[in-house]
Amino acid sequence: MTDAPVIRTQNLTKTYKNVRALRSLDLEVPRNSIFGFLGPNGAGKTTTIKLLLGLVRPTAGTAEVFGHDIVGDTIDVRRRIGYLPQEPRYYEHLTARETLRFTARFFYQGPAPAIERRVAETLELVGLSDRADRPVKGFSSGERQRLGIGQAQVSNPDLLILDEPAASLDPMGRRDVLAIMERLRERATVFYSTHILDDVQRVSDTVAILNRGELIARAPIEELLVGSEGVAYSVVLRGEAAEARSRVANQPWVSEIHASTENGRTEWLVRVTDTEAAEAQLLRVILADERVNVAAFGRRTYELEEVFMNLVEENGNGDD
Amino acid sequence: MATTSLQLQPASGHGWLTGFVNMIDKEYGSWWRTRRALYHFIMWLLIINGFLLLVGFDAGRQNPWAAVDDLIEVFFRVGGLFATIGVIVATQNTVLAERELGTAEWVLSKPVTREAFLLSKLLVNGLSFIGLAVLIPSVAFFLQTLFATYLQPDIDAFLLGAAFHIQQLLFYLALTMALGTFFNSRGAVSGMAIGLVFAGLILPNFFPWLWDYTPWQLPSLAYFAAVGRALPDGTAPVVILTGLYTLLLVLLAFWRFNREEF
Repeated sequence: MTDAPVIRTQNLTKTYKNVRALRSLDLEVPRNSIFGFLGPNGAGKTTTIKLLLGLVRPTAGTAEVFGHDIVGDTIDVRRRIGYLPQEPRYYEHLTARETLRFTARFFYQGPAPAIERRVAETLELVGLSDRADRPVKGFSSGERQRLGIGQAQVSNPDLLILDEPAASLDPMGRRDVLAIMERLRERATVFYSTHILDDVQRVSDTVAILNRGELIARAPIEELLVGSEGVAYSVVLRGEAAEARSRVANQPWVSEIHASTENGRTEWLVRVTDTEAAEAQLLRVILADERVNVAAFGRRTYELEEVFMNLVEENGNGDD
Repeated sequence: MATTSLQLQPASGHGWLTGFVNMIDKEYGSWWRTRRALYHFIMWLLIINGFLLLVGFDAGRQNPWAAVDDLIEVFFRVGGLFATIGVIVATQNTVLAERELGTAEWVLSKPVTREAFLLSKLLVNGLSFIGLAVLIPSVAFFLQTLFATYLQPDIDAFLLGAAFHIQQLLFYLALTMALGTFFNSRGAVSGMAIGLVFAGLILPNFFPWLWDYTPWQLPSLAYFAAVGRALPDGTAPVVILTGLYTLLLVLLAFWRFNREEF
């Protein structure tokens, strides 16, 4: 039971009039993961989040959160979720403390001192203690976002859903948000959408990429960063490398070598089928030839941005 | 021991009113922990009792009892009309603004039902408005009649009249809220509701049977009851039908709001 995914969607589809915002989404979000949900504008990220929260109804398909159906058991679903909307809106006459108290009371019936303590802890956590008793209408966008993160986690939710949590924060604010997310990983699952790929690469363990309402990739972040063409090693050589190349090419775990030469340096991209064998033997096979020196060696990984752009372009740009 | 007593207790509410108590508190605060109640308190005293002051300042000089009846008629007919338009204007934004501004989306992402969201607004807006635009002006009205005529209206009769008046306000409140779940324009919401109020002043003159099936007769019933006159035969059906219309409007608002997508 504990290994069951926190979120499971099957064929989840949402159509607005003639526009298919989400097409047959099959997704599983593992427990205690920080799950990055990526995609260009209009890809269907926010629609997915709103479907999970019962704010919109699916046109087809089903989804469960902690085993509760998102349509039939929406209150039970929402009891376990803390949600930060993309553009958080609050009652402007309420103070930050009153806003958190109002939110907390949907989840806790009391006692009042314990709720107040929880509210105070949350204000401290998001750095709003000194503005706690000011009306929200005077808050900057960064302060509103901090309050949004506070209200999303004031109930100690099992699942935190954040829609673009760092979008309007300065670098310090972003760092704090990422720190909060990492801290929550131990006891909660974080499902968040973002455009800031650096952040995803830094904190996420699993990533899903949505484009034009379709899921085009879902994988652990390490796997995604390896690229779609499998594991490869980059080797920079000096000297006569032809013989070393043919010896490497003859290894049973080598599938392909791309070579390029520039300024007397030869660079290989060696694709392999067996990572363990490659890491144990590749360098030794090359250095067996004394006419060759290795200037650089490493496993080839991609930046998330590169992977993201490649996948989105392969599947057609999602911008409407 | 102290630690145990401070453990947070999860909210246990289930069913269609989940989150209702918290919503009630929030709605109550929007009236009574802001200046909104104070503004309404002053405004309704000025509008209703100020108007009575203008028309009835010297009312008691010739026939005091007739003067009391006249003041009651002004209170329920003219003051009632102001209050009816007031309840529409004051609550036209209650649902609409929350839909537009995104606060409804935020609140409804929490464990609260849409019925609890609407019903809390209906109850708190209704009770607050009745308190500020009916009860307090009524107390002031008693003082005014006392000073103007040295007489007091029959309190039981007056309360019955006030009950008719309150029923009318609740009908228009439910109508305004229901319209707020359907339309995205303040003009449409308040225009239709106020249009219905004025239709009630005109249409029954051409189609008298409408009196028997609409809330439009309630201001007259309020006046008749408050001055101790016998109520017309059709009173019970009007009261029952208006109650049913109000209930239907609330159910219609629930139905529509449950289909709203944010």
